[in-house]
Amino acid sequence: MTKTAETTSSDTQSRNSQLLAEFKETTGNVRVTEPKMRMDNVNVHYGDNQAIFDVNLDLGKNEVLAMIGPSGCGKSTFLRCMNRMNDTVDSCRVTGSLTLDGEDIYAPEQDVVLLRARVGMVFQKPNPFPKSIYDNVAYGPRIHGLASSKDELDQIVETSLKRASIWNEVKDRLDAPGTGLSGGQQQRLCIARTIAVSPEIILMDEPCSALDPIATASIEELIDELRQNYAIAIVTHSMQQAARVSQRTAYFHLGRLIELGETKKIFTNPSHELTENYITGRFG
Amino acid sequence: MDNLNLDQHISHRYNEELEDLRSRVLNMGGLVEQQVNNGLKALLELDAELGEQVFSGDYEVNAMEVEIDEACTEILARRQPAASDLRLVMTVIKAISDLERIGDEAEKFGKVAMRLSDGGNRPTYFSELRHLGEHVKSVLRDTLDAFARMDAESALVTASRDNAIDREYNSLSRLLISHMMEDPREIKSVLEVFWCARALERIGDHANNICEYVVYLVKGKDIRHTSQQRMAEDQDEDNSM
Amino acid sequence: MNNTTTKRNTTDIVKAGLAKRYARERRFKLMGVAAVSISMAFLAFLLISIFAKGLPAFQTTYIKLDITLEKKSLGLPEEPTAIEISRARYDKSIKKALLAQFPDVTKRKEKRMLYQFVSSYASRQVADALVADPTLLDTTASLWVLADDEVAALARQADYTLEKKDKQTEITRARIEELKAENRIETRFNWLFFQRGDSREPEAAGIKGAIMGSFYTLIVTLVLSFPIGVAAAVYLEEFAPKNKLTDIIEVNINNLAAVPSIVYGLLGVAVFINFFHLPRSAPLVGGIVLSLMTLPTIIIASRAALKSVPPSIADAALALGASKIQTITHHVLPLAMPGILTGTIIGMAQALGESAPLLMIGMVAFIVDVPTGITDPATVLPVQVYLWSDSPERAFTERTSAAIMVLLIFLIAMNALAVLLRKQFERRW
Repeated sequence: MTKTAETTSSDTQSRNSQLLAEFKETTGNVRVTEPKMRMDNVNVHYGDNQAIFDVNLDLGKNEVLAMIGPSGCGKSTFLRCMNRMNDTVDSCRVTGSLTLDGEDIYAPEQDVVLLRARVGMVFQKPNPFPKSIYDNVAYGPRIHGLASSKDELDQIVETSLKRASIWNEVKDRLDAPGTGLSGGQQQRLCIARTIAVSPEIILMDEPCSALDPIATASIEELIDELRQNYAIAIVTHSMQQAARVSQRTAYFHLGRLIELGETKKIFTNPSHELTENYITGRFG
Repeated sequence: MDNLNLDQHISHRYNEELEDLRSRVLNMGGLVEQQVNNGLKALLELDAELGEQVFSGDYEVNAMEVEIDEACTEILARRQPAASDLRLVMTVIKAISDLERIGDEAEKFGKVAMRLSDGGNRPTYFSELRHLGEHVKSVLRDTLDAFARMDAESALVTASRDNAIDREYNSLSRLLISHMMEDPREIKSVLEVFWCARALERIGDHANNICEYVVYLVKGKDIRHTSQQRMAEDQDEDNSM
Repeated sequence: MNNTTTKRNTTDIVKAGLAKRYARERRFKLMGVAAVSISMAFLAFLLISIFAKGLPAFQTTYIKLDITLEKKSLGLPEEPTAIEISRARYDKSIKKALLAQFPDVTKRKEKRMLYQFVSSYASRQVADALVADPTLLDTTASLWVLADDEVAALARQADYTLEKKDKQTEITRARIEELKAENRIETRFNWLFFQRGDSREPEAAGIKGAIMGSFYTLIVTLVLSFPIGVAAAVYLEEFAPKNKLTDIIEVNINNLAAVPSIVYGLLGVAVFINFFHLPRSAPLVGGIVLSLMTLPTIIIASRAALKSVPPSIADAALALGASKIQTITHHVLPLAMPGILTGTIIGMAQALGESAPLLMIGMVAFIVDVPTGITDPATVLPVQVYLWSDSPERAFTERTSAAIMVLLIFLIAMNALAVLLRKQFERRW
């Protein structure tokens, strides 16, 4: 305790960089027996900068996988590889193998529109289209031609909104603009919009970071219910949230997957010192 | 000491709170150890005054337990500790309840010392009791040392010494039982010795618990209710890893 | 202790400087108010002078004459057709009517002066009246005909203090009084101004030709520059790879917006008229030239509007599996549309007010007929203003200001529309 604050933080920093230099492979078991999506040796480059280094990771069926790590650790980048949202960035290059039910999603014959219909995504900021609630949810099914009639479309919208537990709040005003809802409702609307396309995987990029704790709780409750039908990968800055909603937790640090394990294990007794340092708030 | 890096958090207040928590537990441990030493001394020397002191000293131990308990609750509520910090707080919560029980046992010594000193005559088998007492004291000291240093290895070694205490207690109890059968008039005073031996054995158990918590704290492994052999095997595994 | 002293010191220092700071703030505010007032004063001066000069142009003076219309003297057959009636010349009848009105005029010189009492457009008016009602032929009809601009000016203001108080003016005034006494002179709203094209006679000159010319020119400009501009902006913003070439294009578009407009006029002459042989003085060429000029404005405004659409909306659509084109047409463009439209309207307003490039391509000719298509020779509002401002007659000066007023009203209306659109469609995310 005689050490000053500066020396301790720089100590941790140098210790962290030392640990990073020594890092060879992910601690913990990265594989599951029934993977929905399997990622092998994934490397991501932005121009000359490498953002992701040799990540191996499985996303299992009906599980919630949380990805945590300090800012700039590449967790969001990695998430966006999983439905090729990185394609919109010109300088981004993804190598390695990412397979969805055994199909390579970066294969030239893979249609990205189809992929994104199978792998939905919910974003950090609730981003409903400035259209009616109904049109927001109906947009996906419409462009993919999932409904053959108006009744069928109504049905899809209703089930999606129900699954996203927002039906009761909006059923009387489906024509109201989606942007008029509260933050939490907007985010649930976005989840409903994603579900409406019946994806197999839902990716969530810090879905609660713009929400208050009550809205957050309802989203987390929803995530838990959605797990019955979907595989979910969630990036979050809130370690408590990762601890609450996920079955497995992956810890990223500067583009490397440091540790992957049962959430319970990660939060009570992580194996890698970097993980420990991060989740206990020891970061210089 | 710092394999837990308690001083490395981003939040300095958090560092201080955890450090404060740890030093408070060490203080409490020191106080409890002193209570046990004094209690045994009062008992063996039939020192009523010291016995009285030990008896009233338990109040302080209890107060400390409540205080540390509150501090733990506060940290849990405000900091949501994770990993080693979480294990530290959980360990502290459990350790202080064991320490408090040890304090209660020491209080018993004080009571018995006060009671026996009225009779004036010194019960037999005090020397065996003294031997057991020394053993338990050393175990308790090592336990607190292990906790202070967060030393899982020495905690494991200390925990294994509980078996020796149990054996010693068993032989002493057999001795006392046979004595009671031989001389029923002595039953009352021998029973006092018997209770004291029992209390020492309990202290050993509590110390053993604390050692297990220390292992959990450092290794993240719960070794309660596993056999010594198993523990040693795990230890080897850890070393080979 | 130490702490309290520093605290007091800080307070004292701050207090000492406060007055100065507030004074500086007040000075700055005053300067701002002064700047605004000066510019407002200039604007007010401009508007007042234009309105003061231009308002008389919206009034015109008519004189009632009893005109004898004999078919024989007019050289018309017994059953004249409408075309024959409208082609006949009525100058003589009007002159006779004038002489009949003022029988005391006998001298030749005086007669000639008297003939200038009515506008030469009066003959046209008589013809129109006869076409409308052929039964008036072979009768003496009481018709209201347009007075000459000088007469009109004198008639409007009884106490008109003329600079040249010559004999002729005195006579004219006396005659006006005479007509007034007989209720034969009247001031009316100048509908002709909005119904006719240009004319050598100021009292008969109208702005309709210029308005229609501007209208056709702007139609051509809009039809060309809006789709091209929006398409270019969408491509540059959403599809074009970010490299040196697109950087150069971007810089050049910004530069084009700053190129003097006369340069576009020269380009129009060289390319569209001399090379492609498109008709001179036509709104078609004018529109093409002006769309060249407004394109950069529209592209820049559209790109800004596209950029301001939050990427989260595009992300949302993409993540649902919408293709790039679907994302842009379903979400990005509709959201950017208010901004694009605002930019377009402002560009159009700019084009409406532009004269220099049109001078180059010959839209400055004296054109009497109201254009009926984009290939008819035409002129536009600002050029009309330019043309009239060159004419010496007092009435043309008035009409210049009146044309400016009309132009200003159009500009204000267009800008108001732009503001309205922005307000109407502005969305918050």
